[in-house]
Amino acid sequence: MTATRTHTPPGTRPAGPARGRQSVDRPAGPRTAHTAAAQDRPRRPLAALAARRAFLVPMGVAVALLIPLAVVFPGAGSWPAALTADLSGPLGRAGDWIIDHRDSHPLFLYFFGHISNAVVVSVRAVYVLLLAAGWTGVTALAALVAWRLAGIRLALTCAAAFVACGLLGMWVPTMQTLALMAVAVAASVVLGALLGLAAGLSPRADRVLRPVLDTMQILPAFAYLLPMVLVFGIGVPAAVLATVVYAAPPMARLTALGLRGADAGVMEAAASLGATGRQRLLTARLPLARRQLLLGVNQAIMTGLSMAVIASVIGAGGLGDRVYQALASVDVGAALAAGIPIVLLAVVLDRTADAAGRRIGATPVPAREQHLLRRVFCGWYGRLLTFLVAVAAAVAGRVAGSSLWPGSWTVPLADPVNSAVAWMTGHLYSGVPVVGGTADWAARFTGWILDPLRSGLQAAPWWLLLLLACALGLLAGTWRTALTAVLALGAIGALGVWEASLDTLSQVLAAVAVTLVLGFAIAVGAARSARAERLLRPVLDVCQTLPQFVYLIPVVALFGVGRAPAAAAAVVYALPAVVRITTQGLREVDPAVVESVRSLGASRSQLLRQVQLPLARPALLLAVNQAVVLVLAVVIIGGLVGGGALGYDVVLGLAQGDLATGLVAGAAIVCLGLLLDRVTQPAKED
Amino acid sequence: MNTTTPAEAPVFAVDGLWKVFGPEKAAARVPGSADATGLSATELRERTGCTAAVRDVTFDVRKGEVFVVMGLSGSGKSTLVRCLTRLIEPTAGSLSIDGEDVLAMDAGRLRALRRHRAAMVFQHFGLLPHRTVLDNVAYGLEIQGVGRGDRRDRAAELVAKVGLEGLEERRPGQLSGGQQQRVGLARALAADPEVLLFDEPFSALDPLIRREMQEEVARLHHEEGRTMVFITHDLAEALRLGDRIALMRDGRIVQLGTPEEIVGSPADDYVRDFVRDVPREQVLTVRTAMRPAAAGEAERGPALAPATTVVEAIEAVARSGGPARVVDHGRCLGVVDDAGLLAVVAGLPATPGRGVAA
Amino acid sequence: MRDAHPRRPLGRHGATLLAATTALAALTGCGAADMTRQSSPYAAAQGAKTVTLSVQSWVGAQANTAVASYLLEHELGYRVDTVQVDEVPAWDALSQGRVDAILEDWGHPEQEERYVRGKKTITPGGELGVTGHIGWFVPTWFAEEHPDVTDWKNLDKYADLLRTPESRGKGQLMDGSPSYVTNDKALVKNLGLDLEVVFAGSEAAQITQIKQFAKEHKPFLTYWYEPQWLFQRVPMTEVKLPEYTEGCADDPQKVACAYPHTPLRKYLNTRFAESGGKAAGFLKKFHWTKEQQNEVSLMIAEEKLSPQQAAKKWVERNENVWKPWLT
Repeated sequence: MTATRTHTPPGTRPAGPARGRQSVDRPAGPRTAHTAAAQDRPRRPLAALAARRAFLVPMGVAVALLIPLAVVFPGAGSWPAALTADLSGPLGRAGDWIIDHRDSHPLFLYFFGHISNAVVVSVRAVYVLLLAAGWTGVTALAALVAWRLAGIRLALTCAAAFVACGLLGMWVPTMQTLALMAVAVAASVVLGALLGLAAGLSPRADRVLRPVLDTMQILPAFAYLLPMVLVFGIGVPAAVLATVVYAAPPMARLTALGLRGADAGVMEAAASLGATGRQRLLTARLPLARRQLLLGVNQAIMTGLSMAVIASVIGAGGLGDRVYQALASVDVGAALAAGIPIVLLAVVLDRTADAAGRRIGATPVPAREQHLLRRVFCGWYGRLLTFLVAVAAAVAGRVAGSSLWPGSWTVPLADPVNSAVAWMTGHLYSGVPVVGGTADWAARFTGWILDPLRSGLQAAPWWLLLLLACALGLLAGTWRTALTAVLALGAIGALGVWEASLDTLSQVLAAVAVTLVLGFAIAVGAARSARAERLLRPVLDVCQTLPQFVYLIPVVALFGVGRAPAAAAAVVYALPAVVRITTQGLREVDPAVVESVRSLGASRSQLLRQVQLPLARPALLLAVNQAVVLVLAVVIIGGLVGGGALGYDVVLGLAQGDLATGLVAGAAIVCLGLLLDRVTQPAKED
Repeated sequence: MNTTTPAEAPVFAVDGLWKVFGPEKAAARVPGSADATGLSATELRERTGCTAAVRDVTFDVRKGEVFVVMGLSGSGKSTLVRCLTRLIEPTAGSLSIDGEDVLAMDAGRLRALRRHRAAMVFQHFGLLPHRTVLDNVAYGLEIQGVGRGDRRDRAAELVAKVGLEGLEERRPGQLSGGQQQRVGLARALAADPEVLLFDEPFSALDPLIRREMQEEVARLHHEEGRTMVFITHDLAEALRLGDRIALMRDGRIVQLGTPEEIVGSPADDYVRDFVRDVPREQVLTVRTAMRPAAAGEAERGPALAPATTVVEAIEAVARSGGPARVVDHGRCLGVVDDAGLLAVVAGLPATPGRGVAA
Repeated sequence: MRDAHPRRPLGRHGATLLAATTALAALTGCGAADMTRQSSPYAAAQGAKTVTLSVQSWVGAQANTAVASYLLEHELGYRVDTVQVDEVPAWDALSQGRVDAILEDWGHPEQEERYVRGKKTITPGGELGVTGHIGWFVPTWFAEEHPDVTDWKNLDKYADLLRTPESRGKGQLMDGSPSYVTNDKALVKNLGLDLEVVFAGSEAAQITQIKQFAKEHKPFLTYWYEPQWLFQRVPMTEVKLPEYTEGCADDPQKVACAYPHTPLRKYLNTRFAESGGKAAGFLKKFHWTKEQQNEVSLMIAEEKLSPQQAAKKWVERNENVWKPWLT
């Protein structure tokens, strides 16, 4: 019997929760990007007609506006100089003013100064605590917590991970990163939760916050660094705050999503029992959103970790700094030795948060059925006991005289890795029979794809590109999407970085194309065989969590300096998300449909082409969107290996303290990200 | 079931109640306007952009009765029941509980109403998934600020009452639908409310479980005599439980009456169509089927109470082989014979007074 | 769901915000907080005296830092933290006290003006003893085959040989990290050369590329500097540019001359210089030659020794050099 849920007419409910993209989570961690349920409305002829009208009218307006502009400012390709605002003067002066007044102006003394102070004090407190606990204490505590949350396997993984950090000779940097992370993640969770609370409870706050959070979500990490350096100077406070700003949006989004998505029936039941607003929030809405909240914390940890590495460029110290230093001496082995602890931290933190998430909602096993040891460790006294055991371990470590990791217990990793890399670059660079060396590939990729694309984009009249953006926006969404796209592109022109942005755009497009071709191919394979997927999973995890800095150098060694290695690094980074989303999308195709098509005698390729791919369309679209956003992030970092364009400008801004160049490039990246994200947005807003 | 004494003040008095969804200002203009009375729902929506879910509804709920509101989906019945405790704010009209104006209540008094006087049971249960059965049942008391020990004692009592003993520490996710709805019922009962509001409580359940739950409600009503407002789209359920039934269509009440009135004399074609498949002999009583006693008939034959259903009368008539008397407090109201009873079964117009003798 | 009561979450948030602000104030202490006087949170943990040194990204700077760190730790009993920061931001960090010393600066007149003479938060720490020089270089084998390439006037002749996929049809002049001092774009323009400046984006990328070119025996032209350990691996010869004269590079748009020879200098945070005790004294006296620095650099970059191991080796072999620094 079908049950009708409410009898109110449609359209009278408040807009449903979870509209739009549920999860363009930054794929900083394993198991992050899960497919959103992007609804795809069936296209009826009438709807198609209406859609065409919705397409033509704004398009007409755009044409009507742009043609006169195009006539007034002819010029072949480039953006007209008359429509450009030169910001270098004011920005340069602002930068100088800040540096000159940082130690005297009340804004800095009474506001930023306190923030900075609080960060330093808290990071220091955590760091001193971690050092005091020593390796024995930290490892014991981590293992016990993991054991309480998940079980013996995770506990062993945890312990092994920390021991590995020690064995690699990275104990102190690991603790520094951990301290920085702890403070940054705690702050971003609090900040994100507060923002999420506002957006989840007040529709008005949601309307204001949603576009801001959406935008922050797609910004490359690099774009956040310069404004922080500007205010706080190089050092831990700037790094922590950049991490907070970067990691808070996912938390805020997921909190809002959880709060909005609270089961309406439960909320109504609470209201019908006469609960006050506060009671409804505390006893129903928040507990109902616990899963999402925890997922948000997990996301904050993952994004925070990836940012903590990138923030080494502005003096975050810790593991990221070791990677960065190793990069300077072209020492892939050393970079890897510092990169592995990052991957391990990511995996351990992710799995632990995941386990905590799975515990929620699961029925607690009655105490009498539990293992004796577990029974001892449950409840609040279990918590106390955990703490005491960790303290005991710490004290034992101290007594044994090795509170820091003993210097002799390290395993040299750098040498074998470096010789492997040397072999690889030595043998693959050129002269490989038949397929040619990697250098040849890079040359061809640059000459046949990147160059034509770049010259094409740069030669195209600017108003044509604006019209193109408008058309793409309308195809992907509504007139609002189109307006955002056009304004973003227009802003790029107005900032005076038209050419550089198109250069970056050409790299993004080329790398996205490669990513999608490879990603879809791998995903189709992985979706067919569970074994292939199992084998693939750890590889994808590592690709996603390994700091990009680690593989930038081997990539240069293989592809030479230029745009090709930047694109290659971007492909490596974006591939996991694409593979994952696509595989999941293909697997989630309704089995009933697949079965019925099989019964009609369809071949495998027919099944794939006619059923699985069309039905997985929302997932494929999401994969495209993710690929674009992720590739952009790395293409920017590619400025470090000769990618040039906007990435180089940002690096230059950071390196020279040149705000004008850096901030303008940062703003252009923001606009580019906005443009690319909006025109590939899979979920249509209605 | 209990008979009610109309003299007592009604629990709920609803008069000219409207609920119009849509832009606030436009919605406020709809009640009483010519549009509202003349137009169909679609036309109204096109004209004003508003949807009238409840239109000019008037009824009383008497103390101790089971008042059923029934209608198909979209008829406005769920909106109506939510208006009673202002979970949905009515647009116009008046509404009082025990003579107290509900629409004039401030937030505090309204909460008190929801906490102590009217509790609701929902179609999809609305249980908190992260709490145990016991804590779910105690939730209403927790909101009222009852101490932990007290509320758990009371909740344990109610868990036993709805037959869920031994499942106190389970989570709702581990229960069957029927068990979950028992939790919902216990939660509503925990506050010992004056009125229980049921919003299609059993339509998400399997037929067998539904039957069982209906019996449970009937039992509760029988034991405690609590006033109930019951929303359903299932006619059989309405007829089984209701003392009186309000049948809704497009936001209006098209007929309000006892089950027998609804089935026996439908107000219009819509209602007639609705009740066509009802086994009339199980709902209608001998009052409908009887005719005035002919000479001598008032003394002979088996005696039946006026509330006897036709199906029972058929048995009596078949056994005795002749007409049966309808006797109320020793007075003979009339007789039923096989022709009259057959006419009811066949759905022919009622025959009282026709005096046909076969 | 639909709800009769308007909710006012903002009031609650106001309270939360207030609480957070109060907590922040309580945590940091009231009154002014000068963030230009905050040291690194990692400094002086566990009660040890800590010195924080800035390491720039090039290996020469790593060599300085490695040896200084080793001696500070093993001879003077300090704990040393190193942070890798680019040159210009390093000045800012030094001024704020997040870094105590820069051991190798290639000349930043603007920063010197602001921090040393203006704010007086930074104090010069004397010369490092090494003289730095920036220039354009080609591989020595190439210069031997075509001796005329070492004059900038003849570079156009070889533009074809220097072409790469990135150089837009011209010859490639490879530049390194954006943080380095460079006039190359203006130079190419003002000297009218058929070259395209391609930025490797980081020194690491540039070195990798140079080594790859060397292995392939492919001619290249690169921005490079001395002292640099890479010369030992890939011998390179400088291309003569128009001679450097005082003031010829003052206008960055019109520059058309070679880079100067710069004595590299050390800078210390003023407070550290005054109250840094033995460490500050030691860093002021730290002074070595180009060859000595290269010896350490090479161990780090080519033998892939860790900076600590390289420093240890060098310190063991050169006691007579460093003994005077400690007095």
